Amino acid sequence: MRPSPGRHRLSREFVAQHQRARIIAALGEESGVKGYRAVTVADIVRRAGIARNTFYENFSSKEACYLTAAEYALEELLDRVITAAERVGSWPARVNAGLAAFLGFVAAEPALARICIVEALAAGPSAADRYERSIQAFVPLLRLGRKVSPHGEALPHTLEETIVGGIFWIVYQRFALQQVGEIESLRGELVEFALTPYVGAEAARRVATTPPCRADRG
Amino acid sequence: MPIEQGEGYPPELSRLPPGRHGLPREFVAHNQRERLIAGIAEAIAENGYSGTTIAHITSHAAVSRRTFYEHFSSKDECFVAAYDTVMAELRERVGRAFREQSEWPHAVRAGIAAMLAFLVAEPNLARLCMVEALVAGPVVVERYDSAIQSFVPYFQDGREGRSPEVLARLSPTTEEALVGGMMSLISRRIIAGRTAELESLLPDLVEFTLTPYLGSDEAAAVAREA
Repeated sequence: MRPSPGRHRLSREFVAQHQRARIIAALGEESGVKGYRAVTVADIVRRAGIARNTFYENFSSKEACYLTAAEYALEELLDRVITAAERVGSWPARVNAGLAAFLGFVAAEPALARICIVEALAAGPSAADRYERSIQAFVPLLRLGRKVSPHGEALPHTLEETIVGGIFWIVYQRFALQQVGEIESLRGELVEFALTPYVGAEAARRVATTPPCRADRG
Repeated sequence: MPIEQGEGYPPELSRLPPGRHGLPREFVAHNQRERLIAGIAEAIAENGYSGTTIAHITSHAAVSRRTFYEHFSSKDECFVAAYDTVMAELRERVGRAFREQSEWPHAVRAGIAAMLAFLVAEPNLARLCMVEALVAGPVVVERYDSAIQSFVPYFQDGREGRSPEVLARLSPTTEEALVGGMMSLISRRIIAGRTAELESLLPDLVEFTLTPYLGSDEAAAVAREA
């Protein structure tokens, strides 16, 4: 579709979308500086470079902004993980590719990752519900591993959510230690951590030492 | 592992009945602080961290607002004191249970059992240290992070005496991920209002944490021991 002649200004909808994205990113960045609880709407407005009115045209409160941001961040994260995992065949290779995409997202979009992984527990009861959903969202991908595991359903019921919780904790810690830039170097370790209960340590290590892009082709 | 009621509790976690007791001033002052610590745990259990006011705390502690400010300058400061007290007690119980066992896999099992038993016996304190600490802002979050990390060495002990093949495949973050996974599961159960069922997680948590060291079969065997 071609823009009608003479119309150079961006559509209202595009601007609005863009503003929301900026507000969401600003919330994540400000939370990184002072922690979610201490962030004010004024902080968000300043960082996003928008008018206070514009904030309130988009969100009724900081909490409402957080919930939208968390929803958006989780959708983005899941989308990348699933897309990456679907490109490869076997379940262990999918975990490898999915975790690579997961960490790639954290490195590329630290403000969004902070919102859904770090601040979720700090932002109060409705946010805790989002955190729960974030964890649960990854459970089915791991649960498929029971089909290839000799232990199958004998594995602990809570295994998948505990693995996801452990991975979230590592990411959380790297944010706390301000080492998010190097987070992608943890892929191998986290792949081993996730796969070991299902396929044993040796097989897990073999997958972990395979670059996920190589697995793409094979 | 059942906790003997009242025994071995630090004074902060038990309460002096309100009213005049004709006790020396210093003792009363100390005890007021303890009552405030117990008071904030109860107030937070009822209202959550953000919803808790100084009035809630003083009402649960049965002390005056002035007394509160003699001990703490803010809700945050009172919370930090409560958090430190609870974590010191939790760490002490886990450490003791762990040291009582001579074999490492059973020591891990005993340590986890002691942690779960404490949290079940003290649901208000469980909520305070595992859930509300994350809501309470940067000062407490730092304490929370280091408190969680303080459980890492118990697992690192499991590296001792393992074969070179096992050691080669344990990565530097193994213990951190195990502790994080365990704590995340416990916190989420508390958030879901399922604190009373925490002890049923023991076999799962034991198997999960021992598997990287012992392999699935042996870890499952320790987990299933009665």
